[in-house]
Formats: sequence, structure tokens, C-alpha cells
Amino acid sequence: MPVAVELSHVTKRFDRHVAVSDLSLTVPTGVVYGLLGPNGAGKTTTIRMLLNLIAPDEGTVRILGVPPSAPGVIDRVGYLPEERGLYKKMQVRRVLRFLGELKGLTGREADKRIDAWLERFGLDTPARDWGDAKVDELSRGMQQKVQFIGTLLHDPELVVLDEPFSGLDPINAQALKDTVLELRQRGRTVIFSTHLMDNAERLCDSVCIIAQGEKVLDGDVTAVREAHSGRSVAIAFVESPPPTVAEVLRDRTLVTRADDSNRSVEVELAPNADPQQLLARLMAAGARLERFELVRSSLHQIFLEAVGANGIETGVVGDE
Amino acid sequence: MKKFWAVFRREYLERIQSRWYIFATVAGPVFFGSVITIPQVLTRKAKPSVEVSHIIILDATGTDLGLRIAQSLRGGALGDTLAAVVRPVVSTALPTAQNMATAEVVRHQWIGYLVIDSAAMAGADVYYAGRNASSVQDMNRLTAAVRRNVLALRLERVGLDPQRIRSLTDVRNEINADRITDQGRGGSAELSTLFAYLVAFTLYTMIVLYGNVILRAVVDEKSSRVSEVVVASVQPDTLLAGKVFGVSSVAVTQVLLWVVMSTIVYKTRGPLLHLFHLDIPVIPFPTISATSVVALVLFWMLGFLCYAALFAGMGAIVTNQEDATQAALPVTMLVVLAVVLVVPVLIEPNGTVARVASWFPFTAPILMPVRMSVTQVSRYEVSLTLCGVAFGCAASLWLAARLYRVGLLMYGKRPSLRELVRWIRAA
Repeated sequence: MPVAVELSHVTKRFDRHVAVSDLSLTVPTGVVYGLLGPNGAGKTTTIRMLLNLIAPDEGTVRILGVPPSAPGVIDRVGYLPEERGLYKKMQVRRVLRFLGELKGLTGREADKRIDAWLERFGLDTPARDWGDAKVDELSRGMQQKVQFIGTLLHDPELVVLDEPFSGLDPINAQALKDTVLELRQRGRTVIFSTHLMDNAERLCDSVCIIAQGEKVLDGDVTAVREAHSGRSVAIAFVESPPPTVAEVLRDRTLVTRADDSNRSVEVELAPNADPQQLLARLMAAGARLERFELVRSSLHQIFLEAVGANGIETGVVGDE
Repeated sequence: MKKFWAVFRREYLERIQSRWYIFATVAGPVFFGSVITIPQVLTRKAKPSVEVSHIIILDATGTDLGLRIAQSLRGGALGDTLAAVVRPVVSTALPTAQNMATAEVVRHQWIGYLVIDSAAMAGADVYYAGRNASSVQDMNRLTAAVRRNVLALRLERVGLDPQRIRSLTDVRNEINADRITDQGRGGSAELSTLFAYLVAFTLYTMIVLYGNVILRAVVDEKSSRVSEVVVASVQPDTLLAGKVFGVSSVAVTQVLLWVVMSTIVYKTRGPLLHLFHLDIPVIPFPTISATSVVALVLFWMLGFLCYAALFAGMGAIVTNQEDATQAALPVTMLVVLAVVLVVPVLIEPNGTVARVASWFPFTAPILMPVRMSVTQVSRYEVSLTLCGVAFGCAASLWLAARLYRVGLLMYGKRPSLRELVRWIRAA
């Protein structure tokens, strides 16, 4: 299988702080790849090294078979940074043409594609052609669409999206997911970073979880979930359970961890604990159950397990 | 190179299409034109300075000097109908008479009063107080009248015919000074100075104006976070170059348009001036050799690029507009230093200060043209200085590129000087 991105033993330090430490990962061509981790885990730094925005201190990076500094390769990559922005005083079409030209498109070719994209994203309707408006006349949601068009205008082989879902309204988020899946169908490679596990689980073929600059685990999503399965139970109550139920869930001989959201709980069974025993204890405690299901771990759980609450805490205060 | 042109085109086209730019380009010559014409119109209007003769002359000489002065103030070519009033006084009564005259001037009955006493006949200074005391023209006229009449009176006393005296003393020579260089006569000295000023201040204005345009553009790009998308597609060096050259071309376009418009106005000045009932003045241009023009243009371009790069570099190290002005202060100070030195250079164009300042790469673009306009600078010296400026320009671009590479993705607090040095080393 051809490889779109390959990092091998990459390390990046800022002053005394290590942002990425000995990170190796491989992204096959044509997959949707999720880079998961809490804030400050080193996701943005990793992405910036892919794009030759910063150079690694150690290790090597290869994208589309060559180092990112190789001439021309960057024109085959589309990048949506976490912090987004456009030239506010410029006309939408002109901004997009400029972004296209920076990727080597001719003005005429860019114009053709811009029209198609604007129409597709509902920015050029019979009622109003927003392409002629200045960027700062657009709503935030529209600006996000324009930015997204700018990322994809040159039809890149590799698309890198840094926290693409942050700040998106549900409609734009859906449009983004649809586009990502369509890119995949057309054989493009998409890498995106996120800390939203739901999106990752639904979209990604493979993931890499990093925390504090180090890889925690990586691989095919199904395989990852398979490897972490069988010890997890999803429970839902008909009504808020009595306190006796909470006591059962705190029993460490049965349950190592309970992810409690009042009427539904995801628990991880203790080693050697029997799910039937847990069910019996819950019934005895007076719980009225709507659901009791042995599940494969969600990415969210695997993530929490792998990173640990400790990792998240450190991540939150650590700087990107 | 393709990307350089994309950046260049964006900077250039977006700017020259802005309303502000079009306004400044059109309004510029109109503004300069009015600066030159309006005072002329106003002085012309005020010229029948009726008021010069509308004064009191306190005459304590015991002669008819006061009357004579009043006579020569009146009439003349301008045919004033107003006349000065002469009040003969004795020396001891002068203070009282002066107080009275002051009061009358305060009440707007007269414009001022002139005091002449016996010392004046001996050649001592005379005293004048009035509302127009700061008008150079009026004072020159008064002085001339006093001198001419003192001289006439003295000559009469030694027995010369008053008629002949008048024709002999009516001397009105002025000096028209020309500058001589190795190439021969180099045109009016006054004009050279004026030209030097014009050159210095146009460049100064352009640097400060467009330097800030670049500064703001970079900070805008950073604070709106466009820069990350852009540097993911273009090398920061290319981006910097496109920006600096793009904005510089905008400035050059403006100056060229100004020159073209001024030329048109100059060629058609006859009917224009006629509108204001003015004579067509003969404006002699200073003669400048072709090589000087080339040198001048080179100094301008290199100087502009040099500062544009520095401003861009400063823009890259800050995150918001408030910090930007502060960060640009050292660069602005360099330009101001050059302008502050213009006058010393004009006064002593071959002095040590002038020489050193016109060699220093960051002040040379402004000061060398100034020196060249007022004195003879050897070609050897000019070429050497040009090399220095080119070197300074390259150094600025190099430095700015390094700051740019690291700075564009850095947000947050302004870096300290030590951090900056580390950035420059790391880039």
C-alpha cells in the first residue's frame, strides 16, 4: 500500500519544553486518518512539521514520498489551520483566486473551480452571489465555508485539517464530514486532528492517539477497538437510579471505571469480574434497567484509558 | 517565481484600487499645488500693503526726516492713498508719545508706529512697533525707506542737489546667486536648496507612509491568521519579497503619477494662473545631469526597499496593531534621524557630519541626494555610497526574512531582544 505520510522518530523541542517526542507514524494513501489527543499533546506541532512550517529537531518527515521541503510537493497538499482567517477587506472570489494561485493554479482555472465550489456550498444562489462580497460582510459560517474551499480548490492529494470541527455549526460540520468522505472516495488522503472522539470514530479509518508529545497507540480503528473490547458494559436506566446503584458501581472488585452520565453509564469491568454478576447486583440494588449491553470500547473510552485523566489535565495547561 | 508574482499582484492590485489610494494620488498634486499657489495668491492680494504707510512716525530728529520717510512710504508704484502721520516730538517727550501711539494702535487707528531720533541720523537702529512687525516684506520696505532718506538727508547737508540725490540714491539691486560645480554653472543656489528639500521630504514621506502600510499589512495578516495558510503555500522569503516589492511598486506608481500630473499642470499653468490673475512665473529648473538622476532614482528605490523590509520584519514580531507602532519605533527613529540631519547637511554640505551621515547606509538614501543637490560630490563617493546602501538593503531583507520565518507563526507577548536574537539565529 502506498504511503501518503511517514514520520519516523520525530522530535521537536521549544526552549525547554518537548512538544513532540520520538513520534513515528505511517498514513497509507487514500484513508481518513485521525490524529487524536488532548490540547497541547503536540498535534498542531506535528501537523506544522508535515507542512514544512517548522523543521523537526530530530527524525525525518516524508509526505507523498518526498521531504516536505521538496520543491512542488506543498502544492499537492491542502491545509486548514486551527486558527482560521482570510483577508477581510478582499472580495471572496479574489481571496480564493489568490489562494489557488499560491498553489500553482492559473487564474482562469481557479475562477472556474471557484464558481463550482461557491454554488455547491450555497454561497452563489440566484438571490445573492456572495463571491462578490467582501470577506467581512460574510457570516462566520460562510467564512468557514470559504476557508474550506480555499483548502480544497487545487484538488490536493493530501488534505490536512487541524481541528476542523472547532467552531463549526452543525450544518457546516455535516458539510465537512460529507466532503471528507467524498475526498476519501476519490482516493485522496485526509489527515485531521481532533479531540472530539465521536467524529473521529465515525470518520476515521485509522487513528493515532498522542499525549504529551508521545504516541500512545495507533492503527486501524476497528483493530484498535477490537483490541480494547469485551470489558465494557453500557447501561441505561429507566429513571434516575437510587444511591444503592452508585455503590455497586463503586465496587472496585466489579468495576474499574464508570463513566457516569446520570441515566446512562459506561462501565469497564474489573479483571475477572463477570458481567452477569454485575447485572444481578444492579437488579438487587433496585435499578430499573432500560439497557444492559456488552460493548466494544468507544474511541472515547480508549482515549481516556490511554491518555488518562492525568494526561488530559497536563494537556490542558500545557501550551500548544 | 510564480508565487512571488501572485503575492506581488495581490499587494499591488488590492492597494491601487483602494479608494484611499486613488484619493491620495489625485489630491496629492492638488495639495502641493495649493501649498505653492495659495500663499502666492494671498501675498499678491495683500501686496498693496496699504498698511505699511498707515503708521505714525514719531520724529525726534528735529529735521524733516519723518516727513521724507512718510513721503517715500506713500505713493511709490502702488499709489497708496493712505499716508503716514508725522508727529515731531522732543526726545524727552518720546516715552509719553510712544504710550499714546501704542494705545492708538491697540484701538486699530493705526497699524504701528516708527520712532526716529537724532541717533538715527548717525546711523543707529530705529524702533518700530506694530501689528505687522513680523512681516518681513513690510519691515524690508520700512528699512529701505529709512536708509534711503537718512542717506539723502546726509548728502543734502554736505550740499548736494536734492534732485540729483534722489536719482542717485534710488538703488534697488538684489543678488541672484548661481551655484558653480565642476560641470560649470549649476543653476540657482536657492533653487538647489529647494530641490534638495523636495527630494528629502518626498522620500521621507514615502518611507513613513508606505512603511506603515507594510507594517499594518503584515500585522493584519498575522492577527487575522491568514499568514499560516499563506506560509503553508509560499516560502516566507518569497512572501516577504512579494509584499515588499508589491507595496514599493504602489509607492513608485504614486510618485510617477504625481510627476506626470505635475508636468501636465506645469505645461498648462498659463491658463490656470490666469484664473487667479497671476503672472506666469518663470520657474527655472536646476540643471541635473543624467547620471545624477540615475543615482537619485537608485537612492530612492534602495532606500525605500531597505526601510520597507525593516518595517515588514518588525510587523512579523508583534501580534496586534498597538504593539506594531512601538516595535516600528527604532526604524522610524532612523528615518527621523536622517530628516533631522537635513538642515545641518544643507548648512555645511562638506562638513564631517554631512559626510558621515551621507555615507551611513540608513541615512544615505535621504542625505546623499541632499548633498548632491547643494554641493559637488565625486562620482566615486556616490558610487561607493550606493554600494553601501545596496548592502544595507540586502542586510535588511536578510534580517526581515529571518524575523518573518519565525515570527509569522508566533503569537502572544512581544519577544524580548534576547529572544529576537535567538529567532534570528534559529531561522
